[in-house]
Amino acid sequence: MPALTQLLVNAPAAAEARSTHTLICVFLRGGADTMNLVVPYADDHYYNARPTLAVKRPGNSTDSSLKLDDRYALHPTLKPLEAAFKEGRLGMVQGVGTDSTSGSHFECQDQMEHGDSEKGRPAGGGWLGRFLRSRADQSASALSAVAIGTKLPESLRGAPSVSVLEHIDDISIKAPSGDPKAVVGALRAMYGADVTLLGQRGQQTLDLFQRITAMHSSRYAPENGAEYPTNNSFADGLRELARLIKTRVGLEVACIDLPGWDTHFFQNSTAGGFASNAQKLAEGLAAFETDLQKHRSHYTIMVTTEFGRRIYENASLGTDHGRGFCFVALGDKVRGGRILGNWPIGAMDETNPLGPGGVGITLDYRDVFAEVLAGAMGAIDPSKIFPGASLSRVGLMA
Amino acid sequence: MASRRHVLQAVALSSGAAALTSCERTISTLTDVLGGSVPNKLELPTGSEIDPEFHLLSRAAFGAWPGDLERVKQVGRNAWIEEQLHPERIDDSLCDLRARRFESLFYSEGDAYEFKKPVLRNELTRHSMLRAIYSKRQLFEVMVEFWTDHLNIDLEKGDCLYFKPSDDRDVIRKHALGNFYDLIRASSTSPAMLVYLDGRSNRVTKDKPVPNENYARELLELHTLGVHGGYTQADVREAARCLSGWTVNLLKDKQGGARRGPRGVVERFQAPARGKSFFNADFHDDGEKRVLGQTIPAGGGESDLDHLVRIAVRHPSTAKFIAHKLCVRFVGYNPPASIVDRVAGEFTRTDGDIKSMLRLLLNSEEFMAARGTLLKRPFRYMVSSLRALAADTHVEASRNRQGPLLEYLARLGHGLFQYPTPDGYPDEEAPWMGTLLWRWNFSLALASGKLGNDVRVPLTELEKAIDTSGNREEVISRWWSHLMGRVPSPDELKTLASAADAQTQKKTPSIAKAELLGLMLASPAFMRC
Repeated sequence: MPALTQLLVNAPAAAEARSTHTLICVFLRGGADTMNLVVPYADDHYYNARPTLAVKRPGNSTDSSLKLDDRYALHPTLKPLEAAFKEGRLGMVQGVGTDSTSGSHFECQDQMEHGDSEKGRPAGGGWLGRFLRSRADQSASALSAVAIGTKLPESLRGAPSVSVLEHIDDISIKAPSGDPKAVVGALRAMYGADVTLLGQRGQQTLDLFQRITAMHSSRYAPENGAEYPTNNSFADGLRELARLIKTRVGLEVACIDLPGWDTHFFQNSTAGGFASNAQKLAEGLAAFETDLQKHRSHYTIMVTTEFGRRIYENASLGTDHGRGFCFVALGDKVRGGRILGNWPIGAMDETNPLGPGGVGITLDYRDVFAEVLAGAMGAIDPSKIFPGASLSRVGLMA
Repeated sequence: MASRRHVLQAVALSSGAAALTSCERTISTLTDVLGGSVPNKLELPTGSEIDPEFHLLSRAAFGAWPGDLERVKQVGRNAWIEEQLHPERIDDSLCDLRARRFESLFYSEGDAYEFKKPVLRNELTRHSMLRAIYSKRQLFEVMVEFWTDHLNIDLEKGDCLYFKPSDDRDVIRKHALGNFYDLIRASSTSPAMLVYLDGRSNRVTKDKPVPNENYARELLELHTLGVHGGYTQADVREAARCLSGWTVNLLKDKQGGARRGPRGVVERFQAPARGKSFFNADFHDDGEKRVLGQTIPAGGGESDLDHLVRIAVRHPSTAKFIAHKLCVRFVGYNPPASIVDRVAGEFTRTDGDIKSMLRLLLNSEEFMAARGTLLKRPFRYMVSSLRALAADTHVEASRNRQGPLLEYLARLGHGLFQYPTPDGYPDEEAPWMGTLLWRWNFSLALASGKLGNDVRVPLTELEKAIDTSGNREEVISRWWSHLMGRVPSPDELKTLASAADAQTQKKTPSIAKAELLGLMLASPAFMRC
C-alpha cells in the first residue's frame, strides 16, 4: 500500500489539543432589560420613565443598587459580581446592538448568531461556526465546541464538530452492554495498530474519552468552596463547563443560554421573575469564577442578548422590545472595571408619540464580538468571521 | 394556490402529512416484497487486498448494498460503470417510493415561500440522504454530492433556503452527469446562487459604477479556473461587469412600472415573479470587456454572461482544475499527475462532458491502485454503513427536532447544505478527524438497534446471507469481508476475537453480537474507502 507512506508524511509529530482557552457565550434569550441590570442611576429620566420598575439609587437598603461609578450601579441581585468589577475583570459596553429594526426575537437572535447585518451581506453559518471552521485542522479536539442544552445554537452552525449536551456524562462510548471496557480495549488495539493520522487521532480521542470517564464516576467537588446554585439548569451547565475547562479537553467555544428575559408585564424591580433571573446569572457566574480561581487564564465569558428594552415601562408594568443593550465580558483578558459606550438615555425623544425606542445603538455588536473573540482566542481573520463588516476597536479587551 | 394543486396531481405518491407514518410503514413493507432488501446468500471476498469490485462500489457508489457486489461481478466493472453513467435507464422506483414524496421539492422558487423554514430544510435534507442510501443510480448520487460541494450554497444565508430546493433539482441534479458548461451556466443564474454569492446586488449605475465582485471571483476561483488558474484581479472585475444586472426578485408583491428607456422613450415593464432570476439592463455595464485575454464587445447585454461562462469553462486551467478535483474525490488526496492529465485531456476533448471524464477515471489503473486510501467523510461513512446493513429508514425529522440520522450527521460536522463558505465541505482528512467518538457511537448504536424506530436493521436475514454458522473466527472473518471487501489481517482478527471473548463471558449473545458488529463499523478499516 504505497499510499500509507504518503499519509504518514502528513501526520504531525505530536498533535496536542491546541487551545487551552475557552470562550463562553452566555445568551440571555428574550431581550434582557439591561438597563435594570446596569442601572443608570445618575439620570432622572430613568426614574421618570420607570415609576415602578426603576431600581433604587445606591444606598443602604437591601434593594438599593450597588454603585459602580458616578453614573452606573448594579442591580442588587448582581452583588456576587461586584468584586469582579472592582478587580477589573468584569467590563461592560453600553449601546451595543444589531441593525435589525424588526423588533423580532427570532430575527434579531438570528442576525446576531449568524453574524449578519441588514445592510451587509449575510454570510453562511454561525459566527462561531465560521470561527471554528477557519481554524479546523488536525489538532482540533472532538470537544472543540460544546453547546449546553438540547439544541444546536445558530451561532455554532457550520462548526466542524459541535456536541450538544446537558451533562458531561453525555460524552461517553455507548456500548450496547452498558460497559464500554471491552469496546474501548478493542478500539485502542485497532487504532493503536494503525500507523496513519487516523490511528493517531483515534488514540487521542480514546485518551480524551478516558479523562472524561474518570470524571463520570466521581462526584464533582467544586474548588475553593464554590457553591453552584441547585435546581438551576444554567448553573448546572456552567458546572459542566468548569469541569471540561479544568480537564483541558481542547474546548474552544461553549454556548449556554439563560432564557426568560421577555418581561412585557409585571417585570418588577428587585423581586419577581426578572430579579430571580438576574440572580441566577450572577450566582452561576460567581460560582464558576470561584471554582475556576486557579484556571482563570483559561476562559473568557461574554454575556449578550438580542436587544435591550425600552426606557419607559408600559401599562402592564413591564417593558417592551427596545434596541441597544449593555454587553458584559468577564475574564483576565478583559479590561474591566469600566463601562464603555455612550450614555444610554442621551437621545431620548420625549415627543415621539410611540415612546422612545430604547437605548440607541452606538456600537455594532460585531465590533464587540470580534474584539472579544480575538482578545480571548488570539489572532482571528475577521473577514472570514464577519465578512463585509468594517470593524472598529472598542477597547474592551486587553 | 393553483400550483399547489397541480403538484399534488402530478406527484403519484404524495400523501397527506397525517398519513405519513402508515405510509412509511407501507413503503418499508413494499421494499421487502419487491426484493429490495437482503439476498439469501452473499458471495464474500476472500482476498487480503480489497476486492476490485468492492472498491468500485466504495467510491463510485456510497458503498455496496447486500447483493451489489455479486451483481457487479456478474456484469463486469466496465458494464456496471456504463449502466451507472446512464441513470435514466435504471429503474429507481423503490427509492422513489421513499424519496419522491416531499412536496416542497416540486415547487418553483417563488412558491417555496409557501412552506415553513423547518419543512424546507427537513425535506431537502431527508431527500438527499434517502437518495444516497436507496437509489440504484448510485454514481449519479455520488456526483450530486460532488457538485453540491463544488457549487456550495448554505441554506442559512438570506433566502437561500427557499431557492436551494430548485437549485438542487434544476442545476445540480439536472446536470450532474451532463456537460460542465451547462452546469455552470445553470448555476450562474440560479436564484440560490444569485443570493448566496451576492450576484443579485451586482449593479452598475452611473452614480456607482462599481460592480459587486463576489460571484465573479468565486466563479473563477472555485467553480472554473481554480485559485492558481492564472486569472488576474482585473479579470475578476471584468467578469463582474459582464454579470452586472442579473438579479432575483425576493419581494412578494413587486410592482411593475414605467421607466425611461434608450433615447428617452418611456416603456412599461412587468415585475418579474418572486424568486425568478432575470436580467435588468438598467444595472448592466454594457461597455466592452476584456476577460482572460478575450474581448467581449460592447452592447452584448444579457449575452455577456454566456460569453463569460464559455470563456471561463474553455480556459485550459478549468480542465486541469476540474480533473484534479475529480481525481482527489475518486483516486486520492495527492492523485498521480498521469491520471489528472488524462482526465483533463478528456475534458478538453469532449468540451466538458462529465460522463466521459468519469468513464476514463473509473476504468483507470490509478483508480484501482488507490484502494482503501481515502477517509470516508461523515455522510459517506453513515450512508455506507446503512447500505451495508440494508437498513430500513425514512430519515425522520419533525418540525422541532431532527431524527437520529440527521442528528448524528450534524454532530459529525457534515450537516447537509450547511457548509458556511463557498468552497464546500473539504476533501481532506484532517478536518474530519475530530469527531471519531461520535462515529464510534453511531456504529455501536446502529449495530445494536439503538437508533430508535426510524432505523431498523434486518440482522437475522444478514446473518443468514453472510452465513454465521461457523466458528468464532470464521464468523468474524465473514462479517469483516462483507463490510471491508477483504478478509481481516491476523492482527485485526486477533483483536476482534479477544473482544468477542471478553463480551461473551458477560453478555447475552445478541448484545455480544451487536458489540462485535459495532466494533467492526467503528474500526479504522471501515472509516476508509
